[in-house]
Amino acid sequence: MIFLTHRDTENHLKSSLNFFLFCILFLFAGSTYSKSLKIGIVEYPPHLIFQKNQVSGKLFDYINNVLSPLNYDIEIVRLPNGRGVLELKKGNVDMLLPYDDVTKGIDTLASPLFHPVPGLCFKKENFIPILSATHRFKELTVGVPLGASIVPALKNSEAILLEIKGDDAISRGIALTQIGRIDAFYHPSPAQVYHQENKAYKELACSYFHGYSNGVFIAVSPFMKHKDFQVVDARLKEAMAVMTYSYYFAK
Amino acid sequence: MVSSCMHIVIKSIVVAVLLNFSFLSTLSYGQGDKNQYILNDITKMYMASMTFIFKSQPLINQRAGDKTVLFGDNFIDNIKTTYRAKYGDEFPELDHFLKKMLLQAMVEVMEDNRALFNDDEIGFKGIIPAIFAAQLSAKLSTKGIGLKIKFTRTKDDIRNVLNLPDEWEEMVMKKVIDKPAVYFDNNGMLEGNPAYRQFTPLPMAAHCLKCHGSMKHNPLNFGKDKSQWTNIDMTGFEMENWTLSDFGGGVSLSIEKSVLE
Repeated sequence: MIFLTHRDTENHLKSSLNFFLFCILFLFAGSTYSKSLKIGIVEYPPHLIFQKNQVSGKLFDYINNVLSPLNYDIEIVRLPNGRGVLELKKGNVDMLLPYDDVTKGIDTLASPLFHPVPGLCFKKENFIPILSATHRFKELTVGVPLGASIVPALKNSEAILLEIKGDDAISRGIALTQIGRIDAFYHPSPAQVYHQENKAYKELACSYFHGYSNGVFIAVSPFMKHKDFQVVDARLKEAMAVMTYSYYFAK
Repeated sequence: MVSSCMHIVIKSIVVAVLLNFSFLSTLSYGQGDKNQYILNDITKMYMASMTFIFKSQPLINQRAGDKTVLFGDNFIDNIKTTYRAKYGDEFPELDHFLKKMLLQAMVEVMEDNRALFNDDEIGFKGIIPAIFAAQLSAKLSTKGIGLKIKFTRTKDDIRNVLNLPDEWEEMVMKKVIDKPAVYFDNNGMLEGNPAYRQFTPLPMAAHCLKCHGSMKHNPLNFGKDKSQWTNIDMTGFEMENWTLSDFGGGVSLSIEKSVLE
């Protein structure tokens, strides 16, 4: 026969209460953990292209393939450049892609998606194919978007750097190159404009500062649930181990 | 009785430890051998790709036409064919992820240049073997897979600062410059991590002189009067006046040990 003392009864009640609370919390947690993700995307040709009401590009396909086994209800939100980060910070989207401004202190998934290489765009007749030949920059007027991080090879050359201000500095720089007001334009990722689908810049040709690339990531909202973050992060790593996005794009 | 039993037990332990030790040392020798094999394969795959890029210069630089052989799986098939012709041997099995990653990086580099290759208004595209090699090195360095390949040469003669030799490469080149031979080091370091390193010297070849030789080798001067010759090569650099007896630089390959072991 077991006799319960007052202390035993108290302990028993405490454990029952703890168990009861655990069950409540478990059920509560289960009901609030929803399997949905809101993903903000900004145009980033040729990886992500917005046309009319359609989003296309290999990055879109790749991310779809990565996330589909996780069975999330996914909502895609198209955002203009510049608004993506604001929406992410407010928690209006859980993730934002692609994201390449690591200076803003935004959290990202661990694996970079790809590494764009900065370069110079020239009018075709002035094209310099190999940018390690920096002596050829002497007295070239090169437009640079204000605040852009310039590679040392250009910064330390004898090129005349002309800062171009405004939100549309890249488009204006390209336009100035096309009309011959500047000799070349520094682009953080010329592949975005110098690709075969883009007929608008046909008269330009771009070359690259290889060895000076930065990663492009998927940014995550500070309000994104930690569990979702872990699940998506692990899934992306797993997918990248099978086939990187860069190879998927190139293949 | 007890003491003789203890003696036998201790003897057995000593024998077992010795056996295990010899087994481990054999294993580690075998492993090291296998690792060097992987380094050799990767170096030769890399060299085959450079040879294919060299052979493809007319296609790369032509202003129109079908260039599909330069991309994707077609490109890999061509590297395999080039490898077989160059080394008289089968293309290595892709039995290590580094070999697969190397091939993938090559395809990615070619894709990066697709717009340029297909630009009908540009003649010389600038994707010569050395530039392809530099782009491949840069691509691999973004992958964080502990594999580094560099086409380098002695410090004073380097054109691209990103290909400058490090201390180890300087040391090795001093050793092999007069007696060219593959140099393997299983106690090297790469960015602070223990690494296998290998330097494969390359002989200076006639095609190297088109850019690095003297004015008479410069294709831009062909058919022109001597008074009009230039010592600036087609890539925009001043020619170095090297001859076939000069040191041709080499391929420096480093793989972090943690990746292979």
